[in-house]
Amino acid sequence: MMTSLIDRDMPTIAPAHDPRPDHLVLEGLEKRYDKVVAVAALDLAVRQGEFIALLGPSGCGKTTTLRMTAGLVPASAGRIVIGGRDVTHLPPYRRDIGLVFQNYALFPHMTVAENVAFGLEMRKVPKADIGKRVAEALALVRLAQYGERRPRELSGGQQQRVALARALVIRPSILLLDEPLSNLDAKLREEMRTEIREIQRRLGITTLFVTHDQVEALSMCDRIAVMQAGELVQLGTPFEIYERPRRAFIADFVGRSNKLDGIVREAGVIEVGPLTLRATETPARGTEVRISVRPHRIHIHPHPGSARPHARTNLLVGRVVRTTYVGDVFQYDVDVGPGVMQVEKPTAAGPQPISRGDEVELEWSVVDTLVFEDRP
Amino acid sequence: MTVATFSDAPAATRQRPVAPLAAAMLLPIAIVNAIGFLAPVANLFRMSFNEATGGGGLREAVTFANYLAFVMDPFYLELVTRSIGMSLAITLLTLVASYPIALFIHRAPAQWKSLLTIVTVSPLLVSAVVRTYGWMLILGDRGLVNGLLTSAGVIHEPLRLVNNTTGVVIGLVEILMPYMVLSLMAGFGRLDRTYEEAAQSLGAMPWTAFRRVVVPLTLPGIALGCLLCFVLAVSSFITPKLLGGGRVFLLATEIYDQAIVILNWPLAATMSIVILAIFGLALVAYTRVVRLLD
Repeated sequence: MMTSLIDRDMPTIAPAHDPRPDHLVLEGLEKRYDKVVAVAALDLAVRQGEFIALLGPSGCGKTTTLRMTAGLVPASAGRIVIGGRDVTHLPPYRRDIGLVFQNYALFPHMTVAENVAFGLEMRKVPKADIGKRVAEALALVRLAQYGERRPRELSGGQQQRVALARALVIRPSILLLDEPLSNLDAKLREEMRTEIREIQRRLGITTLFVTHDQVEALSMCDRIAVMQAGELVQLGTPFEIYERPRRAFIADFVGRSNKLDGIVREAGVIEVGPLTLRATETPARGTEVRISVRPHRIHIHPHPGSARPHARTNLLVGRVVRTTYVGDVFQYDVDVGPGVMQVEKPTAAGPQPISRGDEVELEWSVVDTLVFEDRP
Repeated sequence: MTVATFSDAPAATRQRPVAPLAAAMLLPIAIVNAIGFLAPVANLFRMSFNEATGGGGLREAVTFANYLAFVMDPFYLELVTRSIGMSLAITLLTLVASYPIALFIHRAPAQWKSLLTIVTVSPLLVSAVVRTYGWMLILGDRGLVNGLLTSAGVIHEPLRLVNNTTGVVIGLVEILMPYMVLSLMAGFGRLDRTYEEAAQSLGAMPWTAFRRVVVPLTLPGIALGCLLCFVLAVSSFITPKLLGGGRVFLLATEIYDQAIVILNWPLAATMSIVILAIFGLALVAYTRVVRLLD
């Protein structure tokens, strides 16, 4: 265990070469309401066939960005290019998009098949082809037998899949998903995650996916665009977003993290109250910083003194103030002086070696010590 | 009157047995209805079988003479077709005039909604009679409309806007609009902007989205408003009398004449029963439409 901590290296993040051309390009896209800026000068290029998440808390401008892309909200400034075509000033019905709404927006007065056929009718597809393509689309979402039902006769997950079929049957240039899973219960959401990802891969359709759920973004998407207060604050692969968040806000929002505030004393050394912690990269001496460590990256030793200090690890002694059993993990809240740190350990059958009030030692790799200059 | 919507409630919950308390609370209105509506209608029904003896005289009898007289006289049958035809036209015009208003109010921000609704309904604070006199002033030969058009040089002879069918239609459409707007808004419950957005994202132009999505979703409101306005149009007699200048003959105006001027109550009662039958037919049509929508 010790060796693994010491040998942990900075995750190498070489920008992976992706030969696919950009398919959806947002250029300096902006949305202002009077004085309020909902989206500020947003630049984003989505490659052909790529699945990108717009991730952020509510009110960060992610939905507005999607609605501007769809043409439902006019952009205050900037350009939207889909497949080389500037669509900035085109109405939604000329943009060739597939859109799935959070509440699905299935037409209640039409059957499932009529809902799916609607977009094809609008495109003046011959009657004979419509029937065939509707059947194909419903088969794609495993609802082949449900064509004659009304939307309200279906479960939430089924309605969701109809909405997906309706958006995909028109073979749109891009697929836009607006929080499509947030109305489903946890188990169904997990199933739909895999299903949407599978269908997206199979069709190779360029997809923009708005979500506030970091697990969805991490598990489904090729890249994630994190938004905060109308700005795109980081664009990267799920690995980059999780391992190398550029702001404390992101570290906090994506996954859970322990936070400690300190001051840089010298390169690689941060003073947190009476404690001294090491990090791989630090800003200039004297800078006030926030340190963030993921709970599951911290090792907890039941007996202080058992771990040997090392230049590539941080070692802290603390007292367990609370233990929480969550089934698959045990959470320990450990008071280390300047703050309480949460540590996670996978549970195992048998007695738990640590209980409340115990003095323990926490150890983690300097690589896992994330340092930020912003303190949200 | 209930508003039919695309209800999600299963039929079972709608047919729960009436609780004793609910029944007790319904009792007062049931009594008022029995005294104020059912008894007079029963009396009317009885009256239609009495015999008129001329000069306002009346003899208790059970005769179908009044119904026979009504059916045999082409003038009365024409009254029926004209009343129904005109009321349908008025209802349709009221719908066309009110729909955009109702849709606009439905989509207005919440803080504006109540104000706009009050403004729309405020004409009801003035009685229909007063408003009819207002329309006579506006539409008359020397009225506002003709005055403006004449002085603008658009016309040289005044347009005949009152004392004919045109005047009746204009007046009744305006008088009925608040009822239509309220009924439409009551039936707009399920109309969500995202349906239109979904239609547009699927390639529907605004007019197509309106025709294929908005109108079908608002049909319950349309059906309710049309029923209400049709019934009110068929039964209105003051506005047709005043704006028609005695030249527009309808069932309701004829009932008034028979009952108040000629004093032939049995015939007036017979015609009232005919109107009730027309209402019954309208109600059946409405129920059919609503069931079809559900």
